[in-house]
Amino acid sequence: MNKRARAVRLAVYNHKGGVGKTTLTINLADALSRSGKNVLLVDSDPQCNLTSYLVDDEVVDSLLDGSDTLNGETLWSGLKPVVEGTGIPRRVPIIETSGLYLLPGDIRLSEFESLLDSFWMDCAQRRVRGFRGTSALSTLVNETAELIEADFIFYDAGPNIGPLNRVLLLDCDFFIVPAACDLFSVRALKTLGHTLRDWITQWEEVKRFAPDGAPLLPGKPRFLGYIPQRFRVYGASMSRGHSFYLGQLEKRIFSDIVEPLRKLDPTLAERNVSLSKLGEVRDFGVLVEEAQKQGVPLSLVKGGNATMKRSADLTFKQIAERLTQRAGNSGVTR
Amino acid sequence: MKVSLLAPGDKKRIAQALRRFDKERSNFEWVSKNVFSLLAEHPKLRRLIHSVKWRVKDRAHLQQKLMRKTLQPPQAGEPAEEPITAGNLFERVEDLAGVRILHLHTSQFKPINKVVLEILQSQQWVVTGPEANTWDDEYRGFFQKMGIKTISRESLYTSVHYILRPNAQNPYKCELQVRTLAEEIWGEVSHTIDYPDETTSIACKEQLKVLARLTSS
Repeated sequence: MNKRARAVRLAVYNHKGGVGKTTLTINLADALSRSGKNVLLVDSDPQCNLTSYLVDDEVVDSLLDGSDTLNGETLWSGLKPVVEGTGIPRRVPIIETSGLYLLPGDIRLSEFESLLDSFWMDCAQRRVRGFRGTSALSTLVNETAELIEADFIFYDAGPNIGPLNRVLLLDCDFFIVPAACDLFSVRALKTLGHTLRDWITQWEEVKRFAPDGAPLLPGKPRFLGYIPQRFRVYGASMSRGHSFYLGQLEKRIFSDIVEPLRKLDPTLAERNVSLSKLGEVRDFGVLVEEAQKQGVPLSLVKGGNATMKRSADLTFKQIAERLTQRAGNSGVTR
Repeated sequence: MKVSLLAPGDKKRIAQALRRFDKERSNFEWVSKNVFSLLAEHPKLRRLIHSVKWRVKDRAHLQQKLMRKTLQPPQAGEPAEEPITAGNLFERVEDLAGVRILHLHTSQFKPINKVVLEILQSQQWVVTGPEANTWDDEYRGFFQKMGIKTISRESLYTSVHYILRPNAQNPYKCELQVRTLAEEIWGEVSHTIDYPDETTSIACKEQLKVLARLTSS
């Protein structure tokens, strides 16, 4: 396998839906890009929300129409040779939009995902085919990242604990957990922590028996931090319900994510949970809707409430700074 | 062989080695099953062989082996071996995981070896060997012509051995043996009466040699 590109790989991940993963991913990527970083977005969710968000409808339609052909230009087109067992991943063109680079997603990625289970079993059986299949997405992303000299790679993960998320999380250097301030989000953390722990443990076992020179996912996604999302602000303070859940969230992040990961390997999460809150993202309401409509990050929305835009700018800028600092401090040498 | 014959230090050393084996036994099971299924299910190999089997070394046999090695004086002129400990057990005892291919006659070994190496290479196993245990002049010539190292055992044991490792760092080796069905008969009989504890009956010893000559077919 080629050398791993220097970019830091991240996923904004929570299997619970509707916590604002895609919006957060875009705006964090935007803040990093505006601080001078090259950012590659990988739309690895078969729902392709990220692609639909950033790319015009007609372009998305034509990408999807042509993606199953030899000249297809989506992530699926790139992975197809691996699915069909005819070869290695094929590099596909990157879309440049709003200062970001995008590897466009595809609904057909679900076909790739359904094969990933059998690749995974092949890995557990130490069959060479499994290692190639399991690392196919990583290989494709790696080549693309080298090409644009990316500093950061963001995987957009679908809201589930399926095999596609398993391989992309195992490919990541870090993951960030977005969580809404409500009962369901707090409860979901337990499954999230346990799932990650199981994936890491199983992969560690697979790696021990893997052939020398087999392409291997690193399998050490570290918890970079969490971001409470979309809470409502009344005047200057948040509502009482939300502040209750904010406390709950911090407790559960520690007991359900930090602790189980640290038990596996203390480098997977920092003990001090209060430091791991990367920031809070309030509900930017209308501004978010407008940004989606225009297909741009919040910072590039035309029109809209100027105060809210400044507040959004500052929020994501600060989170991006903390993210860069924490990723740089935690021993990944780049 | 009785444990009471051992010095307290040796008793402890062997117990520690056995404990490590117990603790990590499942890995040897995994390795042997894995090699077994790789070979047993392969259509190209199936045509050439009779059967494949796997096993993890029996704990009692391992204990006996470690005791025998401790109590046996070193061979004349040979330096004394370093004792086997928990730390070097997996390096020194190469057949903790074992897979055996049985086939009908020796001349089949040539294509079997070719296919076996092909299969192992396709799945990137780290292979050492093969080495052929043989005492028969004709077969020594046969193996040497193939470029295979031969070893002559006083016990008249015969079999071709390969040592397989999942990768260069992994400590769980697997010994792959290839032998004929007739050699298997000798092996089974010898294991029942002469190994790992040598028989004291001269008659049995002699009959085993007769059987070795018969089965070297």
